[in-house]
Amino acid sequence: MQTKNLLKAGILGLVLVTTFILGWEGYWRSKGYVATYNDDKVLWANKRHEAYQSKEKATVFVGSSRIKFDLDIPTWESITGEKAVQLALVGTSPRLLLEDLANDKNFNGKLVMDVTEVLFFSDAPFVNKSSREAIGYYKKQTPSEKLSSLVDFALESKLTFLEESRFSLSSLSGDIPIQNRPGVFVFPSFPKSFSWTTYDRQTYMPEIFLSDTNDINRVTGVWAMLGGDPTPAVDGDALTQILKEVKTNIDKIRSRGGKVILVRTPSSGPFAMGEAQKYPKEKYWSQLVAYTKSEGIHYQDNPITKVLTCPEWSHLAPKDAKIYTEQLVQSLEQKGWFSTEEVTHNTLTN
Amino acid sequence: MLFNSYTFIVFFIIILILHSMRFAWKVKKINLLIASYIFYAAWNPPFVLLLWLSTTVDFFVGRALYREDNKRKRKLLLVISLIGNLGMLSFFKYGGFLLDNFVTLVNTLGFNYHPANPGIILPAGISFYTFTTLCYTIDMYKKESEPVKSILDFSLFVTFFPHLVAGPIVRPNQLVPQFQSPKKATSHQLVNGLFLLSLGLFMKVVMADTFLAGPADAVFTAQNSLLPLDAWMGVLAFSGQIFFDFAGYSTCAIGVAMCLGFTLPQNFRFPYGASGFSDFWRRWHMTLSAWLRDYLYIPLGGNRKGSVRTYVNLMLTMLLGGLWHGASWTFVVWGALHGTYLCAERWIQQIRNRNQLQTPIYIPVEGKQAARASMVPSFITSLGTNRFVKMLFVFFFVTIAWVFFRSADFATAWRLLSSMFGRVNNGAALLPTLDIIKVSVITVALVGTHWLMRHSSIADLIKKLNWKLLGIVWAVMVILLVLSQKSSDSFIYFQF
Repeated sequence: MQTKNLLKAGILGLVLVTTFILGWEGYWRSKGYVATYNDDKVLWANKRHEAYQSKEKATVFVGSSRIKFDLDIPTWESITGEKAVQLALVGTSPRLLLEDLANDKNFNGKLVMDVTEVLFFSDAPFVNKSSREAIGYYKKQTPSEKLSSLVDFALESKLTFLEESRFSLSSLSGDIPIQNRPGVFVFPSFPKSFSWTTYDRQTYMPEIFLSDTNDINRVTGVWAMLGGDPTPAVDGDALTQILKEVKTNIDKIRSRGGKVILVRTPSSGPFAMGEAQKYPKEKYWSQLVAYTKSEGIHYQDNPITKVLTCPEWSHLAPKDAKIYTEQLVQSLEQKGWFSTEEVTHNTLTN
Repeated sequence: MLFNSYTFIVFFIIILILHSMRFAWKVKKINLLIASYIFYAAWNPPFVLLLWLSTTVDFFVGRALYREDNKRKRKLLLVISLIGNLGMLSFFKYGGFLLDNFVTLVNTLGFNYHPANPGIILPAGISFYTFTTLCYTIDMYKKESEPVKSILDFSLFVTFFPHLVAGPIVRPNQLVPQFQSPKKATSHQLVNGLFLLSLGLFMKVVMADTFLAGPADAVFTAQNSLLPLDAWMGVLAFSGQIFFDFAGYSTCAIGVAMCLGFTLPQNFRFPYGASGFSDFWRRWHMTLSAWLRDYLYIPLGGNRKGSVRTYVNLMLTMLLGGLWHGASWTFVVWGALHGTYLCAERWIQQIRNRNQLQTPIYIPVEGKQAARASMVPSFITSLGTNRFVKMLFVFFFVTIAWVFFRSADFATAWRLLSSMFGRVNNGAALLPTLDIIKVSVITVALVGTHWLMRHSSIADLIKKLNWKLLGIVWAVMVILLVLSQKSSDSFIYFQF
């Protein structure tokens, strides 16, 4: 092909690609989507660097997805004047995240650990997959990856279609309704509108999700499927082993002058009932708090947070996340969280 | 840094701008050298020291080797270079492997020895740049070419970022002469290079990572036996993934170099269209095959020392080729399988030649003739579609060999092979229907394309295509690339 024709092909390609990108972006924006961030190991690693801030300046949060939805970071920061470093990971047990911070001698700050029993007390490989990947990535992140992540964040802040879990080729092809063979398990996908993530790693349900009953039902359907898991809850020696492991890690942080507190964020409806049946509060939550000699803040112990309702049974809507955060700050304040002194141990608050 | 990263896009734009400015040629070469070190240091900065060490030692040893006439001194210099290069490779790549085998051996002998994990980190691309520098010193030892006069040119030859970490493995005579006079890409080279870069990224990010990596990973990490359909789909997915991943990298490298006005050697030529195992190795990782031929197989004696030695040499070359890919016995078995394929093919060829000599009048019926030259049963090749059948036959055996290449251990490989050939009871269904469709379509398209393009090249195709069609194809590739987003990982061959 002559140079002229090759150039013409290049220009045609460029025009087509530019047209597609503009059209694709416009299409999703017209559907109510906005630019959000990929809630992945890259963003997690970016926040993990912020965990070293002093106790006076920041509180670090670990947990599963609930604390990501329920902690409203702007509300937290406006009331406390402190930074909230969100290190919770969706669908994981925070135990590995706790272990990572406990073994990091440079971490001696304040840590709030959210407990979602079904994940926290599980040793199934999938509950540690994301945290293992995120920690591994953080530890081995190359200079090139760090620079790439900065460009990536800048693009994600502007372009809606760069949200991988919603609009990547893999995600889009996963939307094709094809029947699978008997015996093949595929984790059901969440609606595209379900969870949106900010640069601070706060996750929220937007209005287009909250106003769509079908989408809400799809999510509750997923929780119902997970709630039907016949695996019995951990008990006996295995439970004691978990309690020991958590206590050892909490003690490591405390021995360096750090603070650790446990929280239980709200759940509702049949999912909450299932959790209560499988993981009775006294046996799991109270025992964890007592064994680790920690303070605990359970949403059922606060008359305001007790009545908050999760629209899809497991996470709070943004307006309720603000209320929950205000109450959390109050509870933490009562327990001396924002003073320079140690949080009193041995006081069980259930 | 990876070609499929935002950092590389920024880096490459800066390099293109610097390279197009009106600097003296020497300044431009210094720019390229510094850029190459930055490219490498972007993974792990301290490992640049290894590159410097390797470059400096080989530059001076190479020059001394060429000038020295004393045989003993020349051998000593060669040994210094070999120890420097292979010693580094052995320590970083094979240190853990050798230690593991030593521990297994002494424990088998009854000694209770359990040393701490040495935790050696493998520097990216060490196998590639070690081979690049090795061939230079061996050439100098044989006085087959003149030493590179300037350390700047030599450093750039070793470090030039497009080929540095995953090839193509370049020879001094392929690249050094290109540094001797000013090089700037013509507009044709620039657009062509950008097309190849887009094609390479499309192969890697879209085909290898987005479409094929998922099913391949799922099957190769499955803890249980599988249904034959799932096992075959996973292995075929890997056959496609490894090609798209590695050929994608080479295509990117050639495209990037072309944008700067340089030419790198071709590394893949539609390998799954090969109609024989030796043909496969003339099409797959061509620069490594040529390296192993010139610096291992021929020095071992090649086919000049009798029939038995030829087979031994073939096997040795493929075993070491297997080990070059990874420090594990599974790679050695992969090499051994390919060695066996090549030996069998050669043996059949020899029988065929002998029969031809013994037959006074030979009427060459195409199907029968081909049957005698290959391992394909004659009743198949007599059907008249012999070359195509041979290609499928080769693809089948190459795919079987990939099982050992990809499996983490022998237990996984045996489990998978047993599943593939229905030798297990209660194999599980694993892959979603969509994955099965994706792998089937891509495998048929891949093998079909390689078959149709086996006598052609991408450059030929670009020349033949109408510019509108080329523009649309290019746009579709880039759009799919954009849509694939971050679902991409390191190139598989970086670990080698």
